[in-house]
Amino acid sequence: MQIAYYPGCSLKQSSNLYDIQTRKIFAYLGVNLQEINDWNCCGATSAGKTNDFMALAMPARNIGLAEAAGFSEIVIPCSACYLRTIVSKNVINDNPALKKKINSSIKRKFIGDIKILNILEALEKVAGNGKLKKSIKYKIKGLNPVCYYGCMLTRFPYNVEISDNVENPQAMENMLKSLGIHTIDWNYKTSCCGASAAINDRKTSLNLMAKILSDAIQRGADCIVTTCPMCQMNLDSNQDEICENIGCDQRLPVYFITELLGMAMGMSIQELQINRHFIDGTQLLKELELK
Amino acid sequence: MNQSLLMYKPESTKSFLSEVIEKSGQNLTACYQCRRCAAGCSVGDETVFFTPDKLIRMIIMGDKYGALNNELVWKCVSCYTCGTRCPNDIQTGKITETLKKIAKQEKIKPLIPKVKHFHDSFFKSGVRWGRVNEMEFMGFYELKNSLNDFFVKKDTKAIIDEIKEQVKLGFSMLKLKRLHFDFQMSRGRIELRRLSKISNN
Repeated sequence: MQIAYYPGCSLKQSSNLYDIQTRKIFAYLGVNLQEINDWNCCGATSAGKTNDFMALAMPARNIGLAEAAGFSEIVIPCSACYLRTIVSKNVINDNPALKKKINSSIKRKFIGDIKILNILEALEKVAGNGKLKKSIKYKIKGLNPVCYYGCMLTRFPYNVEISDNVENPQAMENMLKSLGIHTIDWNYKTSCCGASAAINDRKTSLNLMAKILSDAIQRGADCIVTTCPMCQMNLDSNQDEICENIGCDQRLPVYFITELLGMAMGMSIQELQINRHFIDGTQLLKELELK
Repeated sequence: MNQSLLMYKPESTKSFLSEVIEKSGQNLTACYQCRRCAAGCSVGDETVFFTPDKLIRMIIMGDKYGALNNELVWKCVSCYTCGTRCPNDIQTGKITETLKKIAKQEKIKPLIPKVKHFHDSFFKSGVRWGRVNEMEFMGFYELKNSLNDFFVKKDTKAIIDEIKEQVKLGFSMLKLKRLHFDFQMSRGRIELRRLSKISNN
């Protein structure tokens, strides 16, 4: 099985461990991820705040490239890239004049039939209906994570149909359940970490993250699981400062969902590069029971 | 700020409201001030008085200056909670994005210049190379901030603090091999530049 793969800039740089893990997980499940040739930046939130037309046109080129290569599905692990691409597809499909305007300047024309999947939808498609449970090597016992979805998997600035509940999504919980992990219910699973505000409006972002971390800690979680490279980076790299501000000694490793999946598939910590977190995530995993 | 809410300016009302409606694609007049957006706003604790419903009201009342110079517009993190919960499908996140663009077009000084510098640097880096290079765009971002601190605010301490903080983050990223020196580029940048030329704004 072949699916087009859009890594995005973040997965090629600061979060390239997520790229490595994603490829390994899908290879294990028998899926060949084909990186879209010569893909460009999706523009992220910055394009939306700077230039409306480009915010739609930049992802449109990537969609055109994937469609010209004959793919019917793209998987996009980065939440920001996923949101921008799916919104671009829906807006352009509803607006023929815009489609014509964009297509006049790109070589591989945007058609708009391709399906855009986030990593949870792609995993559900590839290993849903209990297939994941059968294909893993180990069950993970003794981990108490909270699942953190962030903004961009469920909330869109345009009409987008989503497969999960908007306010209380369950896809990640269900996936972890099939690895034998008991997840903790909490209030902040779709709250915002501030994203780029961590750099350009630090105080705001730290306050947002403090709320997320204190709820997770108070509910007895020992780690956070997420799918968004921006959320992971923010909660991971700023955690020391936030916890000092709120007077908390505890630290929670922030895992990508692919790291726990990889562990259950029998991959090692080194292989998955989990040792590259700001808050050490290896100790907790070493103590785990893998059955 | 309280006072400006009460000022009705008929001569400017229609044009500013229609401009925002047209550019954001949001039907602001459908707002009946139920304040579900205010209850859910991520940055509500930071902006305190200023909530999405107030911003919408202010635009309808024609207070352009107030609508462009408030904390909500510049602190909004585009989490889209307000729009998801709005019973009338008004995405205020799109409205704050539109107002940032209007401020830019009309060369109005942003309330938080760093926000503008960040998004400008990121977007330009993406179009320039086809892909965003974290180190490159952060360099431009810090340069813009430093110039602003130096020439506009005359605040050299702010520059030193900012650089110290970024260097600290840079070092810890380097240790974890999360800083990358290889340059990301896409041939598609030629097409992106062409697209950028035909965009209206």
